[in-house]
Amino acid sequence: MRALRQRAATDERVAGWIFVIPVLVGIGTFLIVPIGMALWISFTDWNGLSPPEQAEFVGLDNYRELVTAEGDPRRDFAMAVRNNLYYVLGVVPAQTAIAFILAVIVNQKFLRGKGFFRTAYYFPSITSSIAISLVFLFLFQRSGAINQLISGLLPGAEFRMNWLDNADGVLHNAVGLVGVDTPPAILTDTSVLGLSLWQWLSGPSVTLFAIMILATWTTTGTMMLIFLAGLQNIPPDVEEASRVDGASALQRFRLVTIPMMKQPLFFVLTIGLIGTWQVFDQIFVISAGGPQKTTLTPAYLIYREGFQNFSMGRATAVAFLLFALIIVFTLVQRRILKPERA
Amino acid sequence: MRTRPRRLAQLLVLLTGTALAVAACGSDFADSDSGGGADDDDQNDAGQTDGAAQAEDDESSGDDGSSLTLMGFSSGPAEDEALNAIIDAYNEQSTNTARFNPVPEYDTALQAALAGGSPPDVIYVDSNRLPDLVEAGALAPADGRVRNEDDFYPSLREAFTYDGTFWCPPKDFSTLALVYNVDMFDDAGLEPPTDWEELATAAEALTDGDRTGLALVPEYPRWGSFMFQAGGAVTDDEVTEMTIDSDANREAFEFLRDLYAQGYAATPTELDAGWAGEAFGQGRAAMTIEGNWIVGALNNDFPDVNWAVTELPAGPAGPGTFAFTVCYAVPAASENPDAAWNLVDYLVSDEALLQFTEQFPVMPGRESLAGAWTEAHPDLGAFLTGAEYARPFQFVPGFAGVVDTLDDGIQGIAAGNREIDEVIQQVDESGRAALGG
Repeated sequence: MRALRQRAATDERVAGWIFVIPVLVGIGTFLIVPIGMALWISFTDWNGLSPPEQAEFVGLDNYRELVTAEGDPRRDFAMAVRNNLYYVLGVVPAQTAIAFILAVIVNQKFLRGKGFFRTAYYFPSITSSIAISLVFLFLFQRSGAINQLISGLLPGAEFRMNWLDNADGVLHNAVGLVGVDTPPAILTDTSVLGLSLWQWLSGPSVTLFAIMILATWTTTGTMMLIFLAGLQNIPPDVEEASRVDGASALQRFRLVTIPMMKQPLFFVLTIGLIGTWQVFDQIFVISAGGPQKTTLTPAYLIYREGFQNFSMGRATAVAFLLFALIIVFTLVQRRILKPERA
Repeated sequence: MRTRPRRLAQLLVLLTGTALAVAACGSDFADSDSGGGADDDDQNDAGQTDGAAQAEDDESSGDDGSSLTLMGFSSGPAEDEALNAIIDAYNEQSTNTARFNPVPEYDTALQAALAGGSPPDVIYVDSNRLPDLVEAGALAPADGRVRNEDDFYPSLREAFTYDGTFWCPPKDFSTLALVYNVDMFDDAGLEPPTDWEELATAAEALTDGDRTGLALVPEYPRWGSFMFQAGGAVTDDEVTEMTIDSDANREAFEFLRDLYAQGYAATPTELDAGWAGEAFGQGRAAMTIEGNWIVGALNNDFPDVNWAVTELPAGPAGPGTFAFTVCYAVPAASENPDAAWNLVDYLVSDEALLQFTEQFPVMPGRESLAGAWTEAHPDLGAFLTGAEYARPFQFVPGFAGVVDTLDDGIQGIAAGNREIDEVIQQVDESGRAALGG
C-alpha cells in the first residue's frame, strides 16, 4: 500500500515536471538568459553594433559614471530619476483614487446604464497608447481644446499655454506666483548627483504634467476594473449585517468597504508603481525626453543611450539601476501597507 | 518540507541546462559570424591592394544572379517611388534582383541587424552615424569599389572618410537654406535677407499678431549654421578639441536669443505645428530654415503657398550651412559583397543619381551633375550653392551625449531660462570629458 502510494507520488512528480517544462524553457530562453546577458553587458562597453563578444570588460565603470562620477551621464540619470519620481508621485495616487471612486460609482445598484459607463471608463485602457498620445498632442496644442476650455472658464483672459514645449517646473511656477523668483542660495549651491536642490525641487515640468494627466486618464480604467472585481467580491451579507446594525452609508463605506478592499488596493498600487517607473511610449511619441530633458525618464534614457548614442553598456546599467529602484519602492510600499496573507 | 531543497536544485539544474543550451547556440552562431567576418576582411584587404583592377573585376563578378536587399528609411511615398524606379532600372540591366526595404525606427533596426551578424546587403548610413559604425568594425570600405570616386564633392567624400579610408559613396545630400513666403515679403516691400542684420529686420517687420517672422527649431542641427556664420564651431575640424567657448559662438547665441526673446523667431510648437515646414506652410511664419526635404512637403501639403528659397544669410564671418547626407554602405559581414557593391555602384552612377534626384528634389553627390540638377530644379539653386561651404553634421564616437547637452542648452537659451555663458561652460566640460581631456 505504501509502495503504491509512493509510486503514485513519483508519477505525479514526473507528470508535473513534464507539464511545467514548456513554461520553464520559455522563461529561461526569453527571460532568465537575456537578463543574465544584460547584466553581463552592463559591465562592458558594448556599443550595440559589433558582435557582443568583442566588447571590453569595464567592471563597474558604467555604474560609476551614472552614480558617482561627475559629468553628463550622472546628470542625465539624476534628471531622469527626478522626473520619474514626480511622475510616480503624481500619477499613482491620482489613478488609484479616481479608479476607486469610479469603481464605487459603477458598482451602485441604482445606477442605470452601468454597462455603458463601465465600457466608457475602460475604453482608454484598451486603446493603443500611441494613438492616445497623438490625440493628446492635438488637445494640448496652443490653440488646442485644453487651452480653449481654460480660456472659456476664465472669461476675458485668453489662455495660450504651450503645454508640450515648456520646461518650467510646476512647483517653481507655483512659488513664482507667490513672488519667489530667485531661489535661496542654499538650494542652488547644494547639489545632489549633479543637480542642485533647486532643480530637484522644481516639480514636474509643464510638459511632463500634461503627460501625467494623459497617463492617469489611460490607466484609470484598468485599475477601476480591478477595484470593481474586488467590490463585487464583498459578500452581500456583510453589508446587510452592517445595515442591520444601523451603520450609515458613509460608515459602511469607511468601516466595511475600504477594509475589505485592502488586497485589491495593494495590488493596484503595486502595478501602478511598477508601470509608472517604466513609462516610455507616451514620452517617445509626445516629447522624446525634451524640452530640456524634463521628460527624460530612466526607461527613455535606456532607449536613448542604447539605440541612439550607441552605449549599450551604459543603457543596461541604467536598466539595472531602474530595476533596483522599482524593487526598493515596492518593498517600501509593501512595508507601509502590510497586506494580510490570504 | 524536506523535499524542498531538492526541488529547488532540480529547478536550478533545469534552468541552467536551458541557459547553457541557449548560450551554446548563441556562441555557435557567433563563431560562424566571426569566421565570416574574417573572410570578408581578407577580401577587403585584397580589394584595397589592387584597387582599380579589382573594381573592374567586380563589374563581372558582382553580377551573378544574387538577390539583394537594400535596407533604409524613407521620408514618404515620393521618395519610395523615386528610389524604386532606379532599383527597377538596376534589376532590368542586371541578373541580380534588388529590393528596397524601408523600415521605421531605422537606427534600432540597423543596430539589431548588425549585432545579430546577418545584416542586409546594402544599408543607409548617416554621416553622423558613420564614425560609430566604423569603430565598431561594421562596414566594408568602398575604396576602389565605386566608379569615379573623385567626382563626389570633397566635403561629402570627407564626410564618409574616417581613419583615412573612404567607406561609402553618398546617396544624395541636402543643405539648409532660407525658405521664405514671397507674398508676405512683397506685401512688406522686403527683399530676401542676405546677412544677419537684414534677417533680424525682416523677421521683425514680418512678425504680426499670430504670425512670426522666422520659424526655427532650437537644436544644434539648425543653430549650428549660425555658429558657422559667426566663425565658431563646437569643436575643431578634426574633433580633437572643444572650441565651443569662443566669442563667435557667443555672438551667434546672443543673436538667436534676442530673436526668440523679442518674438521675431518662434519654435514650431509655439506655432501649433509639428515641424517648422508645417508652421511655414500654414502661414504662421514668414521664413524658416530647412533643407531640401521641405520642397516635397510644401508642394504636397500646401500647394497654394507662394514660396522661394535663398541662401542662408551670411554672418559676421561669412556664409555657413549644414549638409546632411546619407551613404549606401556595405556591411563587413555581408554575405555577398561583390554583388552588393555592384548594386551600390549602379545606384551612385550618373544616370541613376540623375533619375532619382530629378524625381525627388535632393541633390546628387557628384559635382559633374550639378548643372543637370539645376536645370531640373531651377528654383532650388540656393540649396546647391550652399554645398560650396556646407559642413557635415559629424563628430566622433561617444560625442552624442555632448550634442544632447548642447541641444538641452540651446532649448534653454531659446526659452530664455538659461544663461549663454553657463550653457557654453557646461557643454565645454562635457565635451572635454568625451574627448578625453
